[in-house]
Amino acid sequence: MRRQFRQSLSMCVLALVACGGAESDSGGEAEAPFRAALLTAGPVSDAGWYAGAYEGLMLLRDSLGAEVSRQQTRTPAEFDEAFLSYGSSGYDLIFAHGFEYQDAAIRAGERFPATTIVVSGGGRFAANVVPLIFELEEASYLAGMLAAGMSESGTIGMVGGVEIPPVEGTFRAFEAGARAVDPDVDILESFTGTWDDVAAAKEAAGAQLARGADVIIHNVDAASFGVFQAVREAVATGRTAWALGMNRDQNDVAPDVILGSAVIRIPEAFLETALAWQAGELGGRPIYAGASEGVIDFVLNPALASRVPAELVAAIDTARGRIRAGELTVPRVEFVEPEVR
Amino acid sequence: MTRVLARLSGVVRRFGSVEALAGADLEVLEGEVHAVLGENGAGKTTLLGILGGILRPNEGTVEIDGTPVTLSSPGDAWARGVGLVHQHFMLVPALSVLENLALGRRSTPGRLSRTHAHVRSDASRLMERTGLDVPLDVRVESLSVGQKQRVEILRALLRDPRILVLDEPTAALAPAEVASLFALLRDLAAEGRAVVLVAHKIDEVLAVADRVTVLRRGRTTLTELRASVDATSLVRAIVGGEAADRVSVWSPGQATAPRRARGQEVAALVDARARDASGRVGVDGVSLAVGRGEILGIAGVDGNGQRELALLLAGRLTPDTGSARIPDGVGFIPQDRTLEGLIGEFDLTENVALALHADARFGGRSLLRWRDIRTEADRVRVRFGIVAPGIDTRGGALSGGNQQRLVVGRELLVATDLLVAENPTRGLDVSATAFVHGELRQVTDAVTGPGVVLISSDLDEVLALSDRVLVLSRGRVHEIAEGVRTREGVGALMLGGADAVA
Amino acid sequence: MRWPERVMGGPLAVATGAVLLTAMLGAVLLWAGGYDPLAAARAAALGAFGTRDALLSITLVRSVPLILTGLAIAVAFRAGVWNVGAEGQLYAGAVAAVWVGLEGGSLPALLLVPAVLGAAGVAGALWALAPALMKLRLGVGEVITTLLMNFVAIYLAAYMVHGPLQEPRGVFPQTGPIAEGARLPVLVPGTRLHVGVVLALVAAAGLSWLFRRTRIGFQMRAVGASSDAARIAGRIDTRKVVLIAFLGSGALAGLAGGVQVAGVTYALYEGLSPGWGYTAIAVALLAALNPIGVLATAVLFGALEAGAAAMQRDAGVPAVWAVAAQSLVILAVLALDRVRHRAGSEASGV
Repeated sequence: MRRQFRQSLSMCVLALVACGGAESDSGGEAEAPFRAALLTAGPVSDAGWYAGAYEGLMLLRDSLGAEVSRQQTRTPAEFDEAFLSYGSSGYDLIFAHGFEYQDAAIRAGERFPATTIVVSGGGRFAANVVPLIFELEEASYLAGMLAAGMSESGTIGMVGGVEIPPVEGTFRAFEAGARAVDPDVDILESFTGTWDDVAAAKEAAGAQLARGADVIIHNVDAASFGVFQAVREAVATGRTAWALGMNRDQNDVAPDVILGSAVIRIPEAFLETALAWQAGELGGRPIYAGASEGVIDFVLNPALASRVPAELVAAIDTARGRIRAGELTVPRVEFVEPEVR
Repeated sequence: MTRVLARLSGVVRRFGSVEALAGADLEVLEGEVHAVLGENGAGKTTLLGILGGILRPNEGTVEIDGTPVTLSSPGDAWARGVGLVHQHFMLVPALSVLENLALGRRSTPGRLSRTHAHVRSDASRLMERTGLDVPLDVRVESLSVGQKQRVEILRALLRDPRILVLDEPTAALAPAEVASLFALLRDLAAEGRAVVLVAHKIDEVLAVADRVTVLRRGRTTLTELRASVDATSLVRAIVGGEAADRVSVWSPGQATAPRRARGQEVAALVDARARDASGRVGVDGVSLAVGRGEILGIAGVDGNGQRELALLLAGRLTPDTGSARIPDGVGFIPQDRTLEGLIGEFDLTENVALALHADARFGGRSLLRWRDIRTEADRVRVRFGIVAPGIDTRGGALSGGNQQRLVVGRELLVATDLLVAENPTRGLDVSATAFVHGELRQVTDAVTGPGVVLISSDLDEVLALSDRVLVLSRGRVHEIAEGVRTREGVGALMLGGADAVA
Repeated sequence: MRWPERVMGGPLAVATGAVLLTAMLGAVLLWAGGYDPLAAARAAALGAFGTRDALLSITLVRSVPLILTGLAIAVAFRAGVWNVGAEGQLYAGAVAAVWVGLEGGSLPALLLVPAVLGAAGVAGALWALAPALMKLRLGVGEVITTLLMNFVAIYLAAYMVHGPLQEPRGVFPQTGPIAEGARLPVLVPGTRLHVGVVLALVAAAGLSWLFRRTRIGFQMRAVGASSDAARIAGRIDTRKVVLIAFLGSGALAGLAGGVQVAGVTYALYEGLSPGWGYTAIAVALLAALNPIGVLATAVLFGALEAGAAAMQRDAGVPAVWAVAAQSLVILAVLALDRVRHRAGSEASGV
């Protein structure tokens, strides 16, 4: 019976291979200048972090003519496997879109020296393993300026998810921007400990509103709706209160209360990274993608733009210009380790 | 003059390569009690299954009221007035008796409680008329085997069948219950219905049947009026001419005297009490002793502590109070061989290993010596005449009689001091029963042999085999004085307890 | 309806038939979704078996946790213990393995690897002990308790990577890498195939031997086939056997978690397992609870997973489609297995 199984199995495989002889239609493979792959730990239909990465991959295909491929990994056990598959098939550039890929990326980098791996939000680097750090602090700084300028009570708040360095970084920058406008502003800070507990986020924002805060920024990812809801309810009682969006343009999520959003433009970051790689400038150090690359920006909500005093808008624009020009350094929390050898 | 209600002709039914029926005929007349006899595996149950719509024949015809029919489900059979009472209970254990009876009813429109009320009144009336007494509001799982049987019969009768088909209805009943069931069957026949029953005990068949059909190896070998057959001719038809001489038939009610003084005491209970699975008192202060070389018969109706007494004596249960002295070399023939005696998906060797696996001779501390166990299993197969291709045959593929040969043979391997047999011939055919009885007698032939405890609800069996007889009733044992050791005397004790005789 | 004996064959033939059947179903599905089924099939076959790396580094590596959890299920189910908690026991084993692997860096590899795997096995067994005691002492059904313990273990692992075992700088929700000496050596140089696969083979062979040759193995089979007959005819202490089956099953599942950490990920993450503990039930049942059969069915499932991943990479089929195709195969395998069983019981009579 064992032999019978082996025969039938190999026949099965042969049949599949033989039938599958058709040409793969991943556009223009003969002439593609390079091959790029994307690894995500979630579906690219999330309209957020992973969707942005997918758009970035498409941008590489459409604007640089790259041959592209992607895989959604379901478990950490697949990280090494995915790197192995892409590395051994000769992919030039792999975008591993999440910090969780970093250890496997270091291992893969050693095995496939000809492949460059970009780890979004990663903390470790090597000659061909590159953390792509989004300098969201630069937009948070501008958000802080807007918050302090718009506050009537002189108290503003920050609601965070898990207390990790990237979140802390945005809050330190927010504080710095606020104090640049109003050195005496009171700033409240609280963390919910999760990324998806909407009720906890709403409760934290409500407590800050009760203590007099009237502009609240968040960094709680998917739970941000709780923050907006708390602000909305405060407004419904006749108070004046505002919220600020984070990570992506959330202005249309709650256009009645969100003054503006600190956004990351992931596709642009991918494009910049690929261009740097083509120019031979990628590797051996992290890439910081910030305002000067057009990746990070602060976007005012057009629906509420008329409520923001013109001189405040002008001050924010000035600061943006100075950040882009490198004249203004925003506080940040460094979390990239020294080079791995 | 009498109408033919049903006729099965030339019926063939195969299961895989096994031909269970090889051209069987059966004719059922209005107003008769028709007994079907045959050894285990002769095809009786298959034949009744075809009449009851459970199985479809591969060849042959089924006629009801002179019209050829195809019965593709029990519902089809019911619609034509054929009601089947199963050998294995088809009851829902977690439901009450009343609910089980209601399940058998065609659902009437309206509320469930109304259906239940109807069933209750119908069932009460029926129980009064038939003497088949069961508590209606008790869960089926807490009933004894005999009581479950009564529920099955009640359920069939509630549907008022024209042909009532019963597969071994008396196996679990006490003598008085058998008598009242037979009276009921006669009444039903007198109403113009037909009763078809499978039975094993020839004296029962002779007592109740108008006509007898005998099956042998899937074919009908005899159909005669009661008046033209006797026990000897039936046995000959059942087992075949050449084997008949080796089967002895004992007359009902005949009791043997002790063969001799019993040997050294091998087991004893002193004021033992034990609860049953549901926590009720099963054995309620029993003291007894078993000696080597004797058969101690324990008569009584199921559900009076039989189960717990058997488990106590077999060392499978420790008494809650009192003491039990049970030897190491104890064998146990449990009454339900398919559930407790063997494992259907295990082969013969593995089933023999069930008794031997703890024995140091068949394994070291952790390993089993399968070669030795296989040798032993093959000896059991040969010595006890188990009909099977080999010791790799699955236990579940054996006929009932061969399963019991396997269990008895295996337990005799370990029963060096004591053998406890619990209804060991229930559901067995004539020759398998004779085999078991012969083994029990033979093993106690010598005063150095093991003691045997025979716990049985078959009074004839107890009286015929035992050197001493006790009656277990309501958890207590009663000694039988020499003078009352008759069918009637013991029977009264079984049903009424000590008070009835005193 | 009866199938000719010859067609039915063994479980492996059933599995092969199911693959072919669902290959057709899957092709229709993919074609309806606008993907090229031939390219997808080619990608899947090559991705699972096409190269040395595909076979050794991907398919076999993916099979290891399925073999060990499949064996865990086989041990339990053979003894009539319906342990559906292999997933949780795996996580418990992974947590313990990571802890030892992080703390034991000073030990030589010769001691540390056994310590890591031993800790994983013990943790898995302990995770199974609670449902075992609840069944034996209180009569609580193990299907519910083992299932619930899965969630506890998954949350425990999440807590560990956010709290006590988080990597030293406290930035990312994962543990730091375990010590070099705690990692399983690679079996075939140049591939990812680690010695865990040898462990899995040895475990399967050992279990097969246990069932066939040993007294406890025989007792487990007897209790699983008929607890009443085991107790009455076999005088077997069924409670003891059930306890041993629980612990053995838990230990194997825990070992799966430990092997995964020590041989593949070298760190603990949330979502370590994509549900191996549940897939293992299909793996074990399809193998008719035969330990050697588990080897074959686990490799089959490992190949399916590898093929699904390759379909994403090389044929542009999104993950959900690949997973749907894989689930179809599992369903078809189980359905065909059922048909075979029914035909078998029909043939053996009523």
